[in-house]
Amino acid sequence: MRRVAIIGTGQTDYASNRSDASQPELVREAAKAAIADAGLRPQQIDAMLISNMELFEGRALPELWLGEAAFAAGKPCLKVATGGTSGTSACIAGFHQVASGLFDVVLVVGLEKHSEGQTQTGMALTDPFWDRAVAAGALGNFALSISQYMAARGVTERQAAMVAVKARRNAARNPHAHLKMPALTVDEVLGSRPLAHPVRLLDMCPQSDGACAIVIAAEEPARRLCPRPAWIKASATRHEQPYIGDIDRRLVTMRTLRDAARNAYARAGIRDPLHDFDVAEIYEPVSYAELAWYEALGFCGDGEAGRLIEDGVTTMDGELPVNPSGGVLSSNPVGASGVIRVAEAALQIHGRGGERQVDGVRTALATGYGVYAWADVVVLGAQP
Amino acid sequence: MSEMNAPNGDRRPIFIVGVGETGPVAQDPRSIPEMVLAAVDKALADAGMGHDDIDAIVTASIDLFDGLTASNIAVTEVVGAVMKPETRIAADGLAAAIHAACELRSEAYQTVLVAAHGKASMSDFRSLTRWAMDPIHLQPLDADFLVCAGLQASAMAAADGGAQRRWAELAARRRSSAAPGGFAAALPAEAVLASPVVAAPLREAMCAPLGDGAAAVVLSVRPPAPGRRSVRLAGMGYDLEAHAIGDRELTRWEGLGRALRRACADAGITSEEAAIDLAEPSCLYPHEEELFRDACGIGGETVISPDGGLFGGTAPVVAGLSRLIAATRGLRGNARYRRALAHGAWGPAGQGQAVALLEAAD
Amino acid sequence: MNEAILVPIEMAVTWRYASGAAMERFCSGLMERRIEALRCGVCRRSYLPPRPICGNCHAPLSEWVSVADEGRLEAWTVLQVPMLDARTGDMREAPYGMGLIQLDGADTTINHYLAESDPARLSIGLRVRAVWRPEPRGAMDDIVHFEVLR
Repeated sequence: MRRVAIIGTGQTDYASNRSDASQPELVREAAKAAIADAGLRPQQIDAMLISNMELFEGRALPELWLGEAAFAAGKPCLKVATGGTSGTSACIAGFHQVASGLFDVVLVVGLEKHSEGQTQTGMALTDPFWDRAVAAGALGNFALSISQYMAARGVTERQAAMVAVKARRNAARNPHAHLKMPALTVDEVLGSRPLAHPVRLLDMCPQSDGACAIVIAAEEPARRLCPRPAWIKASATRHEQPYIGDIDRRLVTMRTLRDAARNAYARAGIRDPLHDFDVAEIYEPVSYAELAWYEALGFCGDGEAGRLIEDGVTTMDGELPVNPSGGVLSSNPVGASGVIRVAEAALQIHGRGGERQVDGVRTALATGYGVYAWADVVVLGAQP
Repeated sequence: MSEMNAPNGDRRPIFIVGVGETGPVAQDPRSIPEMVLAAVDKALADAGMGHDDIDAIVTASIDLFDGLTASNIAVTEVVGAVMKPETRIAADGLAAAIHAACELRSEAYQTVLVAAHGKASMSDFRSLTRWAMDPIHLQPLDADFLVCAGLQASAMAAADGGAQRRWAELAARRRSSAAPGGFAAALPAEAVLASPVVAAPLREAMCAPLGDGAAAVVLSVRPPAPGRRSVRLAGMGYDLEAHAIGDRELTRWEGLGRALRRACADAGITSEEAAIDLAEPSCLYPHEEELFRDACGIGGETVISPDGGLFGGTAPVVAGLSRLIAATRGLRGNARYRRALAHGAWGPAGQGQAVALLEAAD
Repeated sequence: MNEAILVPIEMAVTWRYASGAAMERFCSGLMERRIEALRCGVCRRSYLPPRPICGNCHAPLSEWVSVADEGRLEAWTVLQVPMLDARTGDMREAPYGMGLIQLDGADTTINHYLAESDPARLSIGLRVRAVWRPEPRGAMDDIVHFEVLR
């Protein structure tokens, strides 16, 4: 298999309303930054991939309109869309395209501009004969799964609130983040507005406008252009049965993420994830999910996630910093969120993390999550 | 960077080992998963394979066309993607097949299933295509895909007094070849010329009608079982043109020219020396077939759309994958054909273009 | 700084969704307050909603089994903010209870409203029963909500 690396990343600032920039302008800003970060000019990109959840903006085939903003006019350009995993799946598609030899350099751009559409309406376009009978939204469906997870693992509302605090405090060191709250406390999270028992406002991700891009390159240009390429060690995707009731105890079992992680770890030589990874950027749309992912990703045994957050294992100065960027809980332009996870993991290997840089990152994990059970896992390394 | 790698001698060959489709019909009473299941079952049967032989799936669908968010959720089970890798390419199905071939060449997988579906009967499809146009400059003008096709045809007809009649004759010929398998009525050229204008100068009977269909293809690095002529995907290329038709040279499909050159480079041949025995273009209108022939430099020695191409009726998203299936069947069934070209197009006036070069491997 | 120019576009789209054969039979059953699931001949799992094949076994589903309109609460929440009701386009006023309910005879759970909206009175394992609208119309909302059996 051809070796492939991420050699550049670029991000816009994320905010609830970026009315200062159009959708193409957000795409252009991220694409330009990533290409410059890779030391390239736009003409040197062979192909583009766009990630976006088009119904959130009420669009069809948005890459037709947005492609030129990603410098794609006259170039091969496709869109990948798989729900919440769109961004990570677009990155994985880019890895495959470069590994195939068809292209040497591929640009991936994820975009969402929630402020220009009706996200709840987009979310509600589920199976008209089944899911649409219940006004649940992502919020209600998360909360249902959380009730099972709490019952099975004994996780507390306070432990979940600690995740929310960690995310927003980390975000304060990320210039791009949407929710920066350096002084947030657990009591403030627990005192925030109840949304769907037991989920509170500060347990949930925001809806953000913004775009994120990465540049993926084959070995030769990667070594020539990037002092510390972030090599793709392994990636894996697993999809699941379609209905919310199909998988008993979703957050508890999460067989997709467990299997994708097992598969990717085996190929990347990861034996003890907590020890072998130096940093992780995981897709946690709600505080409780991060705890469930600790278990599914093997950072701890089942039932030990609460202890992991209490012991500070995943904070910036812990054994495995999780989401130095602030994660999805701090910035969530959905079509870009998966690209952000991969970009932030790569950024840590590049050593370009600024105030959110973790010392000496050699191995990094990024994950994607969508459709309540779909999972992507990406393992990056400082050595191919 | 070099736009393409030199063809690599030790590159894995990719075989088209199974094909299956349902429709196209004007209106399929079945649900989307039922249609896709039928196509997938046929493709697997054609390949002599089961789901256990499939490592990964690439699907093609468009959320707004299906009225479903992440509409590949509707087909996850029927394409066999539960606990497997699935990638949804939101474009024409041929682009999904090209991405699947990338996955195979990357050595990530041995065998990949590609499935596409489109169901134009669910909605006022023409008006849905407005939502794919630039919402600031074009959508407010009510520009849609048909309007853009009309503008392109009109640019071509401006200095070409014989265009209307030639197009009517071409559409009539294609409809007549397609009649056994399609749902568009076979009509003489006079009747095509007498049909109502839908986007001047295009008339209703010149246009391929859009209905419902699903298509599936199995691609593998393992050759098909002996006893059948094996078909190899030898080269692939695609392109995205500028969006606004005012930004393009409207009387040419330059994007298709680029996609073909990429596909030829990928196959290790020049586009001048690429002898195409059979072409299966995705043309919804007769002027597009002329654009296709010009862009590909295809002359009289190439058989084009022997079964009428899309003119007998087709389905959105499925069209390009159905051309890959038609080209594969052509190579399998006709020993004279050595190389075939399958074409896919999407977006306004052919903004997106994809080409797959197929070779019989005997 | 100049004000941003916003171009408002209203979206009104109609789709006609085909139910599929399995869902059609299921919906006809609802008209008679009958709930039927499809059982996989390989793994023996009984599926709601009924569908063409079992995604785990790739087996076509054809064995219909009767399911009670009573079952066990497997997960619950109480929505405390209004959510969009996709059938009406209106917001559903909070608070309201929601649950994943495993009906007796089914192996998957269904997602539906609960009559109870007090978190203190909800827990996993409660028995619940469907409350039907007086004149069923053949859709999932023929069940108004599930009431807790105490």
